[in-house]
Parts: sequence; C-alpha cells; structure tokens
Amino acid sequence: MMILVAALMLAATSVIQGYYARRGLLSEAEQRAQRELTITQLRIENVTGPIESALVNTVWMVQMNLSNPDTLQTLLRNLLDSSPVLADAAIGFIPDYYPEKGYWYEPVVARRPNGEYEEMILGSTSHDYFKLDWYEIPARTGEKYWSEPYFDESAGRTTVVSYGIPLKDGEGKLVGVISADLTLEWLSELLHDFQLYPNTYCTLESAGGQMIVSPPAERVDNKTVKYSMQLENTGWDMSIVIPRNEIFKTVNRLSLMLGFLQLMGLMLLGMIAFKSVKDQSKLENVRSKKDKIDNELRIARGIQMSMVPKQFPPFPERKDVDLSATIVPAREVGGDLYDFFIRNDKLFFCIGDVSGKGVPAALVMAVTRSLFRSVSAHEKSPQRIVSSMNESMAEMNDSNMFVTFFCGVLNLYSGHLHFCNAGHNAPILLSDSVERLSVLPNLPLGVMPEMQYVEEDCYLPAGSSLLLYTDGITEAENTSREQFGERRTMEALDPSLGVKENQDRLLACIDEFVGNAERSDDLTMLIIKYLGADKSTETRRSLVLRNDIQQIPLLAEYILAIAEERHLGRSLAMNLNLALEEAVTNVMLYAYPKDTEGLIDIEAELKDNAIVFNISDGGKPFDPTHAPDVDTTKSLEERKIGGLGIHLVRKIMDEVRYTRKDGRNILTMIKNI
Amino acid sequence: MENNAVITVELTGRLDTAAAQEVSDKILPLQDKADKTIVLDCSQLNYISSSGLRIFLALRKASAVKGGKVIVKSINDDIRTVFMMTGFLNLFDIEA
Repeated sequence: MMILVAALMLAATSVIQGYYARRGLLSEAEQRAQRELTITQLRIENVTGPIESALVNTVWMVQMNLSNPDTLQTLLRNLLDSSPVLADAAIGFIPDYYPEKGYWYEPVVARRPNGEYEEMILGSTSHDYFKLDWYEIPARTGEKYWSEPYFDESAGRTTVVSYGIPLKDGEGKLVGVISADLTLEWLSELLHDFQLYPNTYCTLESAGGQMIVSPPAERVDNKTVKYSMQLENTGWDMSIVIPRNEIFKTVNRLSLMLGFLQLMGLMLLGMIAFKSVKDQSKLENVRSKKDKIDNELRIARGIQMSMVPKQFPPFPERKDVDLSATIVPAREVGGDLYDFFIRNDKLFFCIGDVSGKGVPAALVMAVTRSLFRSVSAHEKSPQRIVSSMNESMAEMNDSNMFVTFFCGVLNLYSGHLHFCNAGHNAPILLSDSVERLSVLPNLPLGVMPEMQYVEEDCYLPAGSSLLLYTDGITEAENTSREQFGERRTMEALDPSLGVKENQDRLLACIDEFVGNAERSDDLTMLIIKYLGADKSTETRRSLVLRNDIQQIPLLAEYILAIAEERHLGRSLAMNLNLALEEAVTNVMLYAYPKDTEGLIDIEAELKDNAIVFNISDGGKPFDPTHAPDVDTTKSLEERKIGGLGIHLVRKIMDEVRYTRKDGRNILTMIKNI
Repeated sequence: MENNAVITVELTGRLDTAAAQEVSDKILPLQDKADKTIVLDCSQLNYISSSGLRIFLALRKASAVKGGKVIVKSINDDIRTVFMMTGFLNLFDIEA
C-alpha cells in the first residue's frame, strides 16, 4: 500500500512537472508558429496583391476598349506580363455580347512552358465557360471571386486557381468576367521554405477544403499540433503542423532523467517495503494498529534516510574541506533533509525542513532532494537553483506543504561562499568568534511561484566552519518545556574543533538539556569546515577582499607569500603588488558604489613560466582597459592627475584583458616569469 | 620641518591606497606654500602606488604655478622604477 502511494506521488510529481514544462514549450511553439504564419501570409500577399491590382487595371482598360474586341488580347498579354505566376488570362463575355462573334466569345492568352504567349479564342459547346465557376460565380454575384483549385485543360494544362472579376460596361451593366489563372507551384515553394522545428510542414487549403499545398508524403500523422490562419482575400486556410515530440524534445530528456532518479528512489522504497512486509507477516497474528503505524513510520524514515548522504568523512582525499551531518530521529518522522556534493572544486550543499510530519513530509522531502540534485546538476548559482526548485514546487503544490531551504555553493580555492535562503533559519559561522551568518529570510519553497529570491555572498576564512541546522535543534525542549535555543547552540560549538567533534558536542549538550523529556522533532545538522585551498596540489592562490580601501594592505601579504613560494625577486614582488593594488583600487572606486558591501575575488594561478591573476567582482560593469593610456612624455602642465593606475598595470604586466561574464567584471593580468 | 624657506617632509613605509588619504591630508596643505622649496624625503619610503603619486603630482603642479620647487630625495631603486614607468623622473628634481 505504502509503496503504491509513494509511487503514485512520485509519478504525480513528474507528471505535473512535465505538464507545466510542456505548457510553456507549447505556448512558445504557438507563438513561433503564429509569427511564421503571419510572415508567410505577407509573402503570399506580396504575390497575390499585385495580381489583384493588375487585374483591376485590366478591367478598366477593357471597359475602355469594348468597342474593339480584337485588341483585347493585347491587354491580356500586358496582364500576364505583370506576374510570372499567371498561367493565363481570359475574358468571358455574356452570351451574344458581340453578335458577330457568336454565342460564346472568350479571348484567352496563355503562357507556354517556353515563355511565349499563345492567343486563343475559346467558348463552344465543349468548352461552355458559362458553367464554369470562374465565370458563373462573379457573373451571378457581381463580386470578385477566388475559385477552388482545378486542373485547367483548356489553356494552361496545369492545376490553377482562378481569380475572377465581373466586367461592366460604361452604364454598369454586366458584359462578362475577366479572369486570371494562377499556377500553384510557387505556393508550395514558399510554404516549404521554412523550418520551424524538424519535420514541420505547412499546408494550404482553399475555402472549399481542397488542398492547394498538400502535406509532404513522408510525414508524422499522429501526435502533431496544428496552428492555422485564414488568409483574408482568398479565404484560404494556412496551417503549420508540428510533431509534438519535436516541441517537447527538451522536456522529454528532462523527464527521462527525473524518471530515472525516481525509479531509483522507488526501488529503494520497494526494498524497504518488502522488508517491512516480511516483518509484518511475522507479526500478523499479533498485529495491532500500533504496529501498523510503527511500520509506516519506519517506511517514512527509510525514505528519508535513503535520500541523504551517510558516509562520513565524505571526501577523505580532500584537504580543503571536511563535512559531517546527521539526522537524529524523533519518534515521529519529520521531513528534514540535507545534501552535498562537489563539482569543479565547488561544494554544493543544502539543508531543508518540510512542513508537516509523517509519510507525506518524507515524500515531499524525497522530491525536494531529487529536485535539488537535478537542478544543481547544470546550475551553479544558488539563487537560480532555489528559484528553479521553487517554480516546480509551487506549481505542483496542491497539498500546501512547503519547505524551508538553504542552499550554498562554496568555492574551495577561495572560500568565497554564495548562498540563497528560502525561509530557513540562518546558519552559524564559526571563525574567530561564533555568530549567526547574516542572511535574508526570503520565503520558503513552494509558497509563491513568482518569488524573487535574493542571492548573497560572504567569505569563509580558512579554518572556519559553518553549522546548518533545522529548528529541531533550537526547539528541543526539556521537561520544563524550555527550549534549547540558539544561545546554547552557539555556546556548545568551538571553532577550533573538527566537524565530527563539534557535532558530537552539540548533540551531547542537547541530550543533557532535554533529559527525560520526549523528543518531538528530528535533530538535523550539517557542519562544513573550510580548511583553505590545498597548496600541495593546487596551483591557484586566492584572496577575497571586502569593498574597503583599508583591505589593500592584505595584498602585500598575499603577494609576499606567492613571491616566497616561487622565489620571485623583491622588485618583481613589489611590481606585482603595485599592479594588483591598482587593479583592485579601480574596482573599489568604480565598480562598487561607495560604501556598498561587495567582495573582490583575487586568484593567482602559478604556472611554470607565468603567473595569471584573475580579479573578479560583482559590481557594475567597469572595463579599466577601456581608458586611454597616459602619455608620460607630456609636460607638467599637460599631465593629468588621473589614469596612472591602469598605466602602471599595463607597464608591469605582459597581458591585460577584461571580460564581463555572468554579471561579474573579470580582469585577467598575466606576468611572464 | 621648515628651514630657510625649505620645507622637508619625511615619508616612511608604504604609501598605498589605504595610507594615501592620511598622507594627502598632511601634504596637500603645503600647496599653499608651494612658492618655497619642498623636499620630499623618501629615504624611508619603500612602496608607492598611483594614489601616492597623485599627491606628488598635485604638489608639483602647485609649485610650478607659484614658482617654487619640489625635490624628491633619496628614492630607492624600486620607487625609481615606478617613477620611470610613469614619466615622473622628468617632472621632479630627484636628489640622491
């Protein structure tokens, strides 16, 4: 039963997720198709428009020359000259209009395949144009008319549509119909001339439902989406047909990935359920309601514990970071979670607390963790990770459950930490002192779909630790219903200790405090200790400065350490110090507005024959290389006070480049050694 | 130190951007006395960045207007390099 519920919920999650992603792609496809239709409509009208006006002009010319029936074919020739898509043109006169010409009189000019014009006089019992649509309908209604497509046997011997206009004499009396036949090949070419999505095609249907441009022979017939538009003058229906799988290609790939993740989760669940079913069958005879509840709790607990990393230390080979984490279960299962992984020397981590308890909370927790993994797999900004998770969770949130969540990405060379909070309690930073990290609250995940999450950043000095925890810790109660609280939490921690020691100390303090009182909520914590870049393998040396001129002297120490390590001479070290100071001062003066908070990342990559410095900041766009160079040969009177900084950078460094990437200024300076 | 219309200012340590504000507050008032000879004694100065050079230049400009003199005394080789890179060697009287 449980496994079924779990499977259903996971399936529902992916269905809903897929549904919204599909809806978005579908509306994009519709917009693209409508735009394409409008463009194609204009291109068709570019051809038909001039024909209509040429025909109107011809009608007028014919009216002037009704008394000279033998000159009319010249006018029809002129009409054919006006557009290459015209196959032929004809004037069908009313019966006996020219008594000397007989009952039928139809002068025709047709374009032959070699381009020459052929003049004919048609109209006979075998070619009774009075019964043909192009004549009959305009003659009867007195209106212009676009015919249905038909095979023209008499003149052009090709499939055409006719455009007919009633012809009247000077007194407004109907004397005949002038008609031009349009070939249709150009329409096929025009409509096949675009590729919106692969395997997309376009069709054109006459007002009467005949195909003017047919779908291609090889096509996908089922599972397509069709967007249509009616052309104003001709009444033709133009449609774009797109195979659904082309529109949904991206989301299908994503579903596949998520599906795989969920399948793994379900298999785990299955194992747990199987085990508990075995347990249950053993107890069948004495099974009580209490046992059943316990079993459900065990399953929920199983789900929860199967989703979090449990191997500690998780990265024994790394010298730059250590982590420890635990969930100490209470009797009732909560929806706490934590997760972490390292990619490209960045530690991605998160902690979260699902509102509510029991199996539903455990399942939401499992979904949250899967989402974190799938979103962070291709995203490195905590703000975008959190926002993307929130979109998915808010859209499918029918049960009104929400998750407080904190997500961070720690650069393991520099200690630069980017984080984004979604309503979770602020982590505690253990460096020189123990204090709460300054964090914006924002709203929990799943509350508001359009929530704008704010990303923040800070610098973790080497040797500092970060404690992330859920409110089970601070709200643990003793027998007199007093809460453990943040102050006791902070007092239990010692910045000089390792992650496991701090974790054990905190748990012991809580244990002692709570005593015999019932534990009502899970105790969940994640402790990260940043030990500084691993200098034995790492060729990069980094420094993070706050936007404060008084931080400048730190550059001297930083360069000194590099100079000693690389045996650089004192003069070279001073020059590097100078160039770095000038570059950093520029950031402080121009990229960050005065008195705003901001960090400046300085990274030096030590290569065999060069040092590459990268200075990056999150300030407004500022390109120091753009400034004109100072002319040092100018006289004292002409010398300007400013511009010396970048001049020195250019003089000292062998290469200086600026780029703006991901909202950051990056200045690269290379010094050959 | 004021002596026979010669004002001597001794600069010590590092004149970087962080120190420039304080140094500037002390030296720029000398612009009013730029008709005299001002000696910037750099024998104990071991670092200077553009923020410091700007102070030197401002003082030098004022002395040119008022007909005084700015002598930069006893710069070490590193600072001489910085003066060279910025063309300051041509703008100042450099004394050993």
